[in-house]
Amino acid sequence: MQINVNNKPLSTTATSLGTLATELSLPEKGVAVAVNNKMVPRNLWEQTPLSEGMSVVIIKAACGG
Amino acid sequence: MIQFISHFTERYSYLDGIRLALDGGIRWVQLRMKGATDAEFLRTGEEARKLCDRYDATFIIDDRVELVRELGADGVHLGKKDMPIAEARRILGDDVIIGGTANTFEDIEMHYRASANYIGCGPFRFTTTKEGLSPIIGLEGYRNIMQRVREAGFDIPVVAIGGITSDDIPAIMQTGIAGIALSGAILRADNPKEMIKKILAPNDSQPSMGRVLNGK
Repeated sequence: MQINVNNKPLSTTATSLGTLATELSLPEKGVAVAVNNKMVPRNLWEQTPLSEGMSVVIIKAACGG
Repeated sequence: MIQFISHFTERYSYLDGIRLALDGGIRWVQLRMKGATDAEFLRTGEEARKLCDRYDATFIIDDRVELVRELGADGVHLGKKDMPIAEARRILGDDVIIGGTANTFEDIEMHYRASANYIGCGPFRFTTTKEGLSPIIGLEGYRNIMQRVREAGFDIPVVAIGGITSDDIPAIMQTGIAGIALSGAILRADNPKEMIKKILAPNDSQPSMGRVLNGK
C-alpha cells in the first residue's frame, strides 16, 4: 500500500498508525503525528487505521535531516 | 496539524493562551516570548512544559537554544535572525526538533539541508503579531513552493504561518502544506474556545477521531 509521509510517497504494509510508528521507529516522546490533517494523540495510534493514499505528517527530531 | 504560538493580549497571559489551546484540542505549542528575560522565560516555560505534559502535547520554544535542555522542551523554533540551524543542531544533538522560518523555497532547501525537522513558512498575509515583515506569500505562493518541495523530494513538513484565519485553512491545506501555525486568530477571537473548535473542524476528514480529539 502506498501512503504519503511528510509529502513523500511511502510503501508500507502497516495497516494502523501504531504499526507504522514501529516501522519508522518513532521515539517515545516529542512526536506530533497527523493523519489526513488531523492530529492523532499517541494513545490512539494503535486504533487509527491507515489506508491507500492517506497523508501522514510527522513532526519529530531526526526526520528528513 | 495546528501549532499554537503563544502570545499575550489584554485578556490572556501567555499561560492562559496555552491552556486555552490545549483545552481546545491543540497538541502542538510553541512558547514565544520575544523581549522577555531568560528568567521570565524559564518561569513561564516550566509551567508550559507541565501543561503540555498533561495533554501529551509537543512543546517547542522559540529562539532560546540554550534553554531547551533546561526546560525539557521537545524542540526549538529558529527565526531568520536566530542561531543558524546547523549550529543549533551541533549543540542540541539529533533528538531535538528544530524548526526554521522560511519565506521562499530556497530558505526551505537551506534549512532542510541544515537538518531542520519542520519549516514555518510565511507570512501568508500581512500580520500585526510579528514585526519585521517579509513579502507575503499568499495561496499561489504556497502552491508554487510546495510543488518545488515535492519535486525536490524533501520529506519535511511545512507549516504555514502569518495572518491566517480559520476561513483560510481549508484552501491553504489544499496546497500540500502540512499544518498551520496560529496565534492572533485564536486569542483575538471573541470566543477563543469556539474559534479553536472551528479551526480544528474543517481539518477533520475523519469524524470519529475528531470527536475524540475535540473532546480532550
